[in-house]
Amino acid sequence: MIGNDIIDLSLAKTESNWQRRGFLEKQFSVNEQHLILNAPNSFEMVWRLWSMKEAAYKIFTQQHSVRFFAPKKFECKLMLDLKGLVCYKNQKFYTASIVNQQYIFTKAGLIKETSSYSEMGSPDQIDMMIKNKLNVLTGLNISGIEQIKSRNGAPSYYYKTTRLTSSCSISHHGKYGAYSFVKA
Amino acid sequence: MDVLFLRNIKKEFMTREDLIISLQKIVKPYVQDQNAFNNLSEETDFINDLKINSANLVDVILDVEDEFDIEIDNDSMEKMLSVKAALDIIETKLTAS
Repeated sequence: MIGNDIIDLSLAKTESNWQRRGFLEKQFSVNEQHLILNAPNSFEMVWRLWSMKEAAYKIFTQQHSVRFFAPKKFECKLMLDLKGLVCYKNQKFYTASIVNQQYIFTKAGLIKETSSYSEMGSPDQIDMMIKNKLNVLTGLNISGIEQIKSRNGAPSYYYKTTRLTSSCSISHHGKYGAYSFVKA
Repeated sequence: MDVLFLRNIKKEFMTREDLIISLQKIVKPYVQDQNAFNNLSEETDFINDLKINSANLVDVILDVEDEFDIEIDNDSMEKMLSVKAALDIIETKLTAS
């Protein structure tokens, strides 16, 4: 299973104020708040941790058809090389992030190295990019590849009745979009 | 209805309709689907319909706390994904306060 999240940092700067009273306390554990306040770039740390939580949550909602807003309960631990671990109840999610000046991208999996395909692009092109990739991987005609959304919004791709993705996650924020999927 | 007038009503006497108007004012800055906002009802979902960014949900919650002078605990916050859920939570907290 795979979940991802992308954050457009220039949009995050104007859209949210992480220094607002209550913002950190409502969403981050005491340990995470400590990480944020002691980081060389607190703003970046806020959104790195947030994207880890969101990517893990997106796996959870694929596993269980439920939606909720409990970012604080997805507890993050940072590891080397922008890798991380998110724990929710008894479950572990392994994350890997890309951080640069423009965006933060995180993908999460249930095992350390989930073999998946990911790409970034502009938000309106993501669907086409997935279809192109599936075409390359399977040889199936693009015009027959369709996205189907589950009741709680999780996408999957089909060719007629054949499911092509066993898990798929799509994110967009501001200028950026991203997909991650595991081939069926 | 005059929103300034509503501000003077004691919050616990606000009707469901009054609460919707207050909530509408709170979510407005975060809404990304104007059409869904114009047709806002109790069934409206903050994320799926209004396209509020999940990172802004906490702002909605903090604004609700400030506006109604209530505290939204973690368990209530978990459920706050729709207008209906938000109204239920606000009503419960107002009666308890």
